[in-house]
Amino acid sequence: MTFDDERPVIGLVGAGGISRAHMPGLLRVAGRIRVFSQVGAQALVRDFSSVPVPVDVVDSLEELLASCDVADVVTPTPTHHGIVAAALEAGRDVICEKPMARTAADAQDLADRAEAAGLHLYPAHVVRYFPAYAALKDAVDAGTLGDLAVLRFVRSGAFPTTPWFGDVQASGGIVMDQMIHDLDQALWIAGPVTRVSAMRTRTESATGPVEAAHVILTHAGGAISQCSGVWGPPHLAFTTEYSAAGTGGTLAWRSREEDRYVTDLARAADVDGFLPPVDPADDPYAAELADYVSAIVGGPVPRVSAADGVAAVRVAEVALESLRTGRPVECAATRVEGELR
Amino acid sequence: MKIGIMSFAHVHAAGYARLLAGTPGVEVVAADPGGNLSGDAGGEVRGAMLAAQVGVDYLDSYEDLFAWGPDAVVVTSENARHRADVELAAAAGAHILCEKPLATSWEDGLAIRDAVARAGVIAMMAHPVRFSSAFARLCAQNRAGALGNLVAIRGANNGMLPAERAWFTDPVLAGGGALADHLVHVADLIDALTGAAPVRVTATSNRVLYPQRDVESAGVALVEYDNGLVAAFDASWSVPLRAPAWGGLTMSVLGTAGTVDVDFFGAAARGVDAGGLAVERRYGADHDAAMLAAFLEGVRTGVQPQPDVQAGLRTLSIVLAAQESARTGRAVDVAALPR
Repeated sequence: MTFDDERPVIGLVGAGGISRAHMPGLLRVAGRIRVFSQVGAQALVRDFSSVPVPVDVVDSLEELLASCDVADVVTPTPTHHGIVAAALEAGRDVICEKPMARTAADAQDLADRAEAAGLHLYPAHVVRYFPAYAALKDAVDAGTLGDLAVLRFVRSGAFPTTPWFGDVQASGGIVMDQMIHDLDQALWIAGPVTRVSAMRTRTESATGPVEAAHVILTHAGGAISQCSGVWGPPHLAFTTEYSAAGTGGTLAWRSREEDRYVTDLARAADVDGFLPPVDPADDPYAAELADYVSAIVGGPVPRVSAADGVAAVRVAEVALESLRTGRPVECAATRVEGELR
Repeated sequence: MKIGIMSFAHVHAAGYARLLAGTPGVEVVAADPGGNLSGDAGGEVRGAMLAAQVGVDYLDSYEDLFAWGPDAVVVTSENARHRADVELAAAAGAHILCEKPLATSWEDGLAIRDAVARAGVIAMMAHPVRFSSAFARLCAQNRAGALGNLVAIRGANNGMLPAERAWFTDPVLAGGGALADHLVHVADLIDALTGAAPVRVTATSNRVLYPQRDVESAGVALVEYDNGLVAAFDASWSVPLRAPAWGGLTMSVLGTAGTVDVDFFGAAARGVDAGGLAVERRYGADHDAAMLAAFLEGVRTGVQPQPDVQAGLRTLSIVLAAQESARTGRAVDVAALPR
């Protein structure tokens, strides 16, 4: 371990859109940040050149893995398995963007490798750290909603402009890439899933493709969940919502209605179609990264495990099978019991 | 114009009766033979007592009601009794406003269609949200191309368990639970908005809420339409019985050019009472009044208003397919339903 002032050296693999959401959180926990990316590393480092933590670019993955304590993998989905496996092979603890891998078999393989090597592996299911979703989880765990009956989750934004997202083979499409956040929420809040049914549609239009999917889940505990995802036209703002009802009552939330900073200015603000707005004082990406890094340096078990990452990919994969066959698909246990580290 | 109310079984009957009784030029007489039997023994206010409360005249039997010679009737009996009541009304030459769902089986739905066609009377389904100004605005924006091509829809029609009428959770009289009660409203709106036909349905349901009842209290469904549109429905009775308002209906429509989200009953002033309970004072036009006006206009002019029995059959096909899917865990091809 090459600690610098007790703070780990973070090796950031990838410099695309989500790397910029990770940077503020990484700066709070890292002693140094080193970046390797085939594209965009110089621009990212330039944009974060005036921060108190040293940030620099390295020229190869090997060099990065040789000189960091923790790898934070924020590359396109199809590369996750290879890069995470290499990082584990190099003896590094790993944080990896969701989905943990493109297939459940690959995700399970990574979880197995991490366990065998005694290394930490945390998939970045950041929605668990968004305060509104943590509030739902807290209410359910406190028994406020009683026995859960029915839940709905919605995630809606613009169709991604980076081409690999739109390539269903590469990304798994909207279900594997975007809705996996809400599939993870459903698993986290209402427990393991026994049956999945999915419908999806994709349409080309003058402004580009539009893709939408609906998935219904039957939970082993009796609850049912409905997840809806939208990759819409380019102007569409990013919004999410949920509602949950149980024997003890209901809880519902819509991002648009809970925007408590409303402007009406002569110069209109830009709309972000890809990422939710975050409160810098309560940054879920920072909370997530702090939770993981804390666990890696000996702190408590974090909110997300490698097993959770496997379970989410598995449910998404079953949904893809439902899309392929046009039928609901039964699934075996979707949550590996016990914590994988 | 003489309008008969056939049964106070449905919770919507009293509201319709009140609105009709307040309509100039309309005489209203109710008959609730089922209510004579149950009376208020089960704590259910029906029959002559309810007629007096809503301010309409009352007759004891359907025989007496049709002897009075109504121009039209409102059928608000238990779902499974729609067929018998519609057949009676059609045979008497009365136009019909039928509470939803049309029937509890495909066979009964077809019998209703045939009885109405034979008699040459108007039959309209009671889907009030179709008559809201918000829905008219959505349809106009869609017609004008503001949404582009429609891609996906979400619709949630959540309400309280209709606890004031026990038959709503009787599998035979109601023909099911929340799926039978609530899928049809969103289905009717999609029908009116798109004209698309449902092709494939999957659904899942449970009885976590009100487990002592014999029907599902929560149900969600996915429907694929013949134009590629995919829709997600939540029909659950998931609004707590002590909530400040009965529930509502929301719909989100995605097209290639954007989205429209409508909360058809959402406009309200909100607060908290001294006991700490939520206060919700809703406002806005009464969709029931607009629907009844359209029906009366049809009766007056003889022009069949929408939604007609064919629309009722299309939405019924979604209910029957969803029920079968929830029961079997399979996808159900709407065209392959046992008919």
